[in-house]
Amino acid sequence: MDAHRIQYWVLLVLLAPPAASILAAALGPRFLRGQTHWLPILGVGAALVGSVNLFNQVRAAGEAHGSIVVELYRWIATVPDQWFSVNVLVDPLTAIMLLVVTGVALLVVVYSREYMSDHGHPVRGYERFFAYLALFVFSMCVLVLGGNFLLLYLGWEAVGLCSYLLIGFYYDRPSAAAAAKKAFLVNRIGDFGFGLAILLIYVTFQELDYQAVFAMVDAGTTASGEALTSGRVTAIALLLFCGAAGKSAQFPLYVWLPDAMEGPSPVSALIHAATMVTAGVYMVVRCGAIFAASPLAMALVATIGAFTALLAATIALVQFDMKRILAYSTISQLGYMFLGVGMYAGSAAIFHLFTHAFFKALLFLAAGSVMHAMGGVIDLRRFGGLRRVMPWTYATMLIGALSLAGIPLLSGFWSKDAIIHAAFENSRLLGWIGLLTALLTAFYTFRMVFLAFHGTTRVPDGVHAHEAGAWIKLPLVVLAVGSIFAGYADVTFLSGGFAGAFDPHGWFSHFLSSVTAPFAMHHAEFAAAGHMQKYGLLYMSSAVAIGGVILAYSLYVDSPMLGLIIRRAFPKTHQLLSNKYYVDEAYESWIVQPLRRLAAFCYAFDRYVIDGLVWLLTAVPRLAALVLRVFEQGRLQGYGTSMTIGLAAILFLILVIGG
Amino acid sequence: MDSTLLSWLVFVPTIGAVACLLAPREVTRTVAMLASGISFVLSLFLIPPFLGAGDEMNAAAVFGSSYGDALHFIQRIPWINGESFTIEYFLGLDGLNLPLVILTTLISLLAVWASWNFDEWKINKGKKGYFALLLLLETGMLGTFVALDFFLFYIFWEVMLLPMYFLIGVWGGPRKEYAAIKFFLFTLAGSVLMLVALVAMFFYSGAAVAEYPELAVSYRDGASVLTTGTFDLIELATNEAIQKYFGESLFLGWRFAPVMFIFLFVGFAVKLPAVPVHTWLPDAHVEAPTPISMILAGVLLKMGGYGFLRLCYPIFPSGGQFWAGTLAAIGVVSILYGALCAMAQTDFKKLVAYSSVSHMGYVLLGIAVMTETGFQGAMFQMIAHGISSPMCFFLVGVIYDRAHHREINRFGGLWLTMPKYGTMATIGFFASLGLPGLCGFVGEVFVLLGTFEARHTFTWAVPAAILAAAGVIFTAGYILWLIQRVYLGPQKPEYADYPEATGREMAILMPLAALCVVLGVLPRVVFDYMNGTLRNILDQIL
Repeated sequence: MDAHRIQYWVLLVLLAPPAASILAAALGPRFLRGQTHWLPILGVGAALVGSVNLFNQVRAAGEAHGSIVVELYRWIATVPDQWFSVNVLVDPLTAIMLLVVTGVALLVVVYSREYMSDHGHPVRGYERFFAYLALFVFSMCVLVLGGNFLLLYLGWEAVGLCSYLLIGFYYDRPSAAAAAKKAFLVNRIGDFGFGLAILLIYVTFQELDYQAVFAMVDAGTTASGEALTSGRVTAIALLLFCGAAGKSAQFPLYVWLPDAMEGPSPVSALIHAATMVTAGVYMVVRCGAIFAASPLAMALVATIGAFTALLAATIALVQFDMKRILAYSTISQLGYMFLGVGMYAGSAAIFHLFTHAFFKALLFLAAGSVMHAMGGVIDLRRFGGLRRVMPWTYATMLIGALSLAGIPLLSGFWSKDAIIHAAFENSRLLGWIGLLTALLTAFYTFRMVFLAFHGTTRVPDGVHAHEAGAWIKLPLVVLAVGSIFAGYADVTFLSGGFAGAFDPHGWFSHFLSSVTAPFAMHHAEFAAAGHMQKYGLLYMSSAVAIGGVILAYSLYVDSPMLGLIIRRAFPKTHQLLSNKYYVDEAYESWIVQPLRRLAAFCYAFDRYVIDGLVWLLTAVPRLAALVLRVFEQGRLQGYGTSMTIGLAAILFLILVIGG
Repeated sequence: MDSTLLSWLVFVPTIGAVACLLAPREVTRTVAMLASGISFVLSLFLIPPFLGAGDEMNAAAVFGSSYGDALHFIQRIPWINGESFTIEYFLGLDGLNLPLVILTTLISLLAVWASWNFDEWKINKGKKGYFALLLLLETGMLGTFVALDFFLFYIFWEVMLLPMYFLIGVWGGPRKEYAAIKFFLFTLAGSVLMLVALVAMFFYSGAAVAEYPELAVSYRDGASVLTTGTFDLIELATNEAIQKYFGESLFLGWRFAPVMFIFLFVGFAVKLPAVPVHTWLPDAHVEAPTPISMILAGVLLKMGGYGFLRLCYPIFPSGGQFWAGTLAAIGVVSILYGALCAMAQTDFKKLVAYSSVSHMGYVLLGIAVMTETGFQGAMFQMIAHGISSPMCFFLVGVIYDRAHHREINRFGGLWLTMPKYGTMATIGFFASLGLPGLCGFVGEVFVLLGTFEARHTFTWAVPAAILAAAGVIFTAGYILWLIQRVYLGPQKPEYADYPEATGREMAILMPLAALCVVLGVLPRVVFDYMNGTLRNILDQIL
């Protein structure tokens, strides 16, 4: 690759969105107002053009040369000639992430044009919304383009800030304000670990550039030439994963994501489904060299991923808020991705990230379309049977749901299957958990679809339900097409006749192979797994997905009474799930409240103990003053008395002792 | 090399103070503005000799090859001559005080501007006195930063004390007398010990040059030999005879260096402020008028950190080694304890005051570990806090001027009422929170990194770094909670008609906000001007 040409495209990707953001903030409120959306459309569009070009160059360069580092600026130096540079790393992983980020972002910006308008009039804060959105795209591009841990962290925090600002976009709503705070705080806990990981990397390797660090990890040495202990690598990996668990909403730090649905739907689609929340997966795959070097960390990543996937899926079974169902689904799917990474299938994880971006963004945007039509109502109990009223929304959402459910031949099927495969090859238990979760996924997805779109048409009072306009339909259709076909990026038709058509290791994993090499290196047997087992699993997961859909159909369309009976039969379980296992309550009473009490205690300590000691110190002179004041009371008689006594005493001394 | 620029810089505010008293009441604030403006402009003329210092080739020329080797704008006049001593009027500038001097003139200028609505204050008597004292305070602060003779330093140190006492005690809030006296007593307790150290160091340095005349070569020309005791802060740090003697002699049966170190430390720790000698700060801030709070947080607290780096460490390096663990512990406790106390506040201003305690804990920790990165982080944290905390205090002041109360829980929805002000508040508080890309982040990271790097020297370094890093969670907690309660949420009727921040208010906030961003994105604009000196100090003490 030609570093020079790359540099210009990189600069286009990095500069167009922030320019759009700044212009939107500067010109929006006064001049552009309802036309502000054109700025991010242009800016993000330019970034997309840049991303496509970068992707093409990486692809053209081929496996061996498909990675390049470009230094843009020297940022700070700690010791002489050791610079933290603003350098970008362009490689297959970056290229794919950039495509996902800018592509989905462009569609979301287009969608927001209509969504952020109320009957054709821009809502309050219209300009602000687009300024934040463009800022987010910039931050996300920094995150995936950064060639060192410092830029990664910078982008990481910046997307967190954008997420905070956008969750709290309707900041006059107390629930939105609380959700924004919660998101930032929970992420801070993760970032605490992430920050320590970066510090530890720096003190271990005296470097923050990816390539230098990973080279040393591969060589098993530290900067001073000593052997790198496995304990150190594991510590770094676990701390990094702490950050990933926060950003990508994994147990136990997932609690912020459902609440984050307080933000506008396009934000949920872009930030809290397709891009930002996948940053954790990106980071773990990026740091594959570090993770793969620590079996313990890999096992933990896989276990947490599988556990989170199952946990979130069970919660999603009984929720009624469409966006929250999708949020729990996102948590669950992110769990799948971590399961994939932990099972040494980095490319499968990124592949799922890729397809998930399409169908989950689609589902959120479609849910947003419903919400827009229902006058802001998103509770499944208050509307239903919308398929005749909103045919476009219904059709596209159905495609998204089929893809999410893992119905054969759609995108989600291929990627999810690849992960379940990897799981079965390494751990039978985690594989079964993955399969069970797939069943639940199909069920809750179609429960949602059936409740919203099937049955008799019901809408909330005073709402005139209507299909969305072109600005909303266009992104839905584009994403629907992607939800069907994106999965074929990793399907190969070349090997083994008919069965070979289902071989899920095609172009995509090949393209990523230079990035995921560390996983393969530490796990050579993965590549040599038997074919028969693979195809067996394919049929199994197909059956599971279809079974889940049929189950949902029979419970929510065919015989709704049956569902009610089942719910009545297990009231405790149902209550536990509806209340999300009381995890929020546990956080409140075990962490938040004790911390508040500790804070109050500290302040009381300050007021009474420390200031009390100060008071005691000052009491000494005051006490002395109290005694001495007796002699200085300012009355003539008193002075006269003491003068007389004094004089007498002196005379006595002189006469008696002196004489 | 000799220059009178620093003298002008220091005494222009004094001239301004006199002019304030003489000029008619109507123009007092203009005169004050002019004086602080001139000293700000003058301070910018200090930069040229340091330009290009970021380049490794120039660094040696700018900062010299060792501590005290390349002082700029030196002015040295024998001032008080005794039989066996010389007290000099000795001013000079290096990478340690340059950024602080510019910070001082900037914050003073903004503070004078923030006092522009003096006539609308609750206590608006004595306008001339107020502005004159404010300018006198600026003289004291600038003098303390540029004085390189201990005696002179001490005088300027005390010059700061009185104006501050009156500014809080006369123009303060309801409990102003209590707050002013508390401030005064705490600071005075510190200066008393400093005075003891001042005298002891003079006599011991005299003994030193008598003991080791062959080593007593002065840094000034590299040839002449010192024959008497000295107050020269650079001489005390660099003269081999003095250093040798300080390192081995005893003071009342204890080792001289650790004892003197702690004597000086106490005075500076009060100013910093470090737990447990911090309780004057919340009271002082709550009672002080907004502009005074800005100066207090922005500049006065930096005296502590500056004192460590100018006096304690270069002169008593073994004291630094001796007390490292204790100091780091105090730093970590300050970080966590300050943050927890901030979390418990319901008074807006008190919350910001406790956040200062927490933030300055990083300064102490960074210095205590005695690594280059730690020193850099501590210095950067001082500058960053010197920008973000005056901004936060001014933000509090803006809303206090309208609401006349500071109860966090009574506010709400202010962003909706005052969008521009809300935006500024977001920048200011997020800078304070340490968001990457804003100024608060760089200092904290460097301190943590420096602490980690000291792990081979100190066994406690890693736990200390982890605990200090945990502080950022608490910080995020209280700041986000604050933003949620004050700025977010539905509009409250009693605040619905509040006017947006005025042009003057925005003009004060804008440069601070811009600096928050610039220092966060391009930290080199600070690092380049000070790293050389910090490295020289470190070379000196290790």
